[in-house]
Amino acid sequence: MKQTIVVIVEHFNGQIKPVTHELVGFAKRLQQNSASAIKVVILDDDPSALAREMADTWGLEVTAIQIPGLTSYNGEIYKSVLADLLREFKAVYVCTAHSSQGMDFAPALSVKLNAACITGVEAILEVENRTCFARSIFGAKAVAHVRPESDISILTIQPGMFRPQKPHKPVSGSVTIRSFKSESLKTRSMGMKPAEADMTGITEAGVIISAGQGLGDKENVDLIYQLAALFTKSAVAGSRIVCDLGWLEYRCQVGVTGATVSPQLYIACGISGAVQHVTGMRNSEYIVAINKDPAAAIFQVADICIVEDLTTFIPAFIEVYEKTKSNGL
Amino acid sequence: MQCFILFPIMRILVCIKQVCDSESPIQIDDHARWIQTDAITGYKMNRLDEFAVEEAVLLKEAYPGTSIDAITVGPDRSAEVIKRAIGMGADHGVHIISQPEGYLNPFTIASSIADYARDKHYTLILTGVMSEDQMQGQVGPMIAACLSLPWATTVIRQQIAPDNKSIYAEREIEGGSRDTLQLQLPAVLTIQSGINTPRYPSLSNLLRANKQKLETFQAGDFVQPVLRERIVRVVYPEKSRSGTFLTGTQQEKATRLLKLLRDRALLQ
Repeated sequence: MKQTIVVIVEHFNGQIKPVTHELVGFAKRLQQNSASAIKVVILDDDPSALAREMADTWGLEVTAIQIPGLTSYNGEIYKSVLADLLREFKAVYVCTAHSSQGMDFAPALSVKLNAACITGVEAILEVENRTCFARSIFGAKAVAHVRPESDISILTIQPGMFRPQKPHKPVSGSVTIRSFKSESLKTRSMGMKPAEADMTGITEAGVIISAGQGLGDKENVDLIYQLAALFTKSAVAGSRIVCDLGWLEYRCQVGVTGATVSPQLYIACGISGAVQHVTGMRNSEYIVAINKDPAAAIFQVADICIVEDLTTFIPAFIEVYEKTKSNGL
Repeated sequence: MQCFILFPIMRILVCIKQVCDSESPIQIDDHARWIQTDAITGYKMNRLDEFAVEEAVLLKEAYPGTSIDAITVGPDRSAEVIKRAIGMGADHGVHIISQPEGYLNPFTIASSIADYARDKHYTLILTGVMSEDQMQGQVGPMIAACLSLPWATTVIRQQIAPDNKSIYAEREIEGGSRDTLQLQLPAVLTIQSGINTPRYPSLSNLLRANKQKLETFQAGDFVQPVLRERIVRVVYPEKSRSGTFLTGTQQEKATRLLKLLRDRALLQ
């Protein structure tokens, strides 16, 4: 059998998650470097409908693993079922999402398969004729190019980096349904709890003023509110660390574990720009970043970069605003 | 004599890492192989590991008799983070001394820690969700796989079951929802930030940390696995947008920004 690139479908509540289509986009890009077939794999208690959907959308071969009782993600089952299947498929690359799910099982699976494990992949590149993967390090101030040294690589792909180009009218791929009896001996799923925080405030705002650790002190949160007050339909948000510090509530959090936003204007104040945060705001229409560190990674994704201390810059900006407003300019 | 145990006697291993200060400048070395380590201005405990240490100390307070070992794999300088963990309330420190500087592969770290932990009968192994410098989040689940233990990542709440045989864990997933699980003990958890408020080390504990001898090993004391991936090059990131840097005095920048926002009708 030919070697394969395997895409693991991420799904939740009977829906294929959008990141899964990005994984196929990634796999297709990867296919250009290697003569491997792409196979899509889905694990669920009742996977046939979602398997069909993937086969119809992409025209790819889908293997649906039906596991009785697997109504939600279970790391132990994913690890044991996928280890056997990937060996059988002669997988060279395994594409999973850099999500709470992919990050949970990928490292454990790699141990079981003696595989390379590269998490948070943002780009595919060639170095000395060999396929390498780019991932951010040191708070996205640098990028490492990582080369697999094993026959099989488990990759977790950063969401939002690979735009899927769905084929127009593909010939439907085949769906093979296989039943697996896999009991999780040590990990029992107890169900899902919805988010406690109501994030509609920030997901619906047209302008977001967002605070990072560069705020320095809880008292400076006031400056963020003062800046937000200049705009209509604005909201105050922050990075996870600001919420961890108790400066803002968790419902204000933008990023992987918080809200994903795309307002007309996003002003990042004292935000370093780690991938986890940028994932949640990358698609904002216009991004202004204020940070006193000229090397801050947030400047890589910003339209307007201002190297200043926000505790003095924001008051200066408000002052200029007030002055020009009263002059009728 | 009959022995009554009122509380579970737990042994916790908490895995921590020393990372460079987040404000430290990052400069790539001349060969683009790694960063210039002498340009690093300072080191600290990985912020995300502080939550794991705190969670261990909270368990120790809730279940008297619990003991906490703090372990790190890193160069000589990383002994400092073990001392800090003892300062926060860990009982014992273990340092696996690696090469002086440079990149350490997560599987190498995980297999050394797993080798150390294998016959120690830990009830729980805790670590942070990821390190701030490499951001891979691999060591926790890898330790679990090496030891064939159940694991849960991004844990935002945990509770030991009354029979002490299992632990309930809530994993924080995308958008703040929670996936809840029950894991048989022993288990490995990676602790999500925000689960608690990490304490500062106490003076008395720090004094104890300074006097206490750490258990030290050389990396070579453990099996060094064959590398499964390698960093071949380190580069500066590329801009994803055209990012214009405003110049001039603070006042000039403020005026310019105001004009840009007004031109785009984002501000009156």
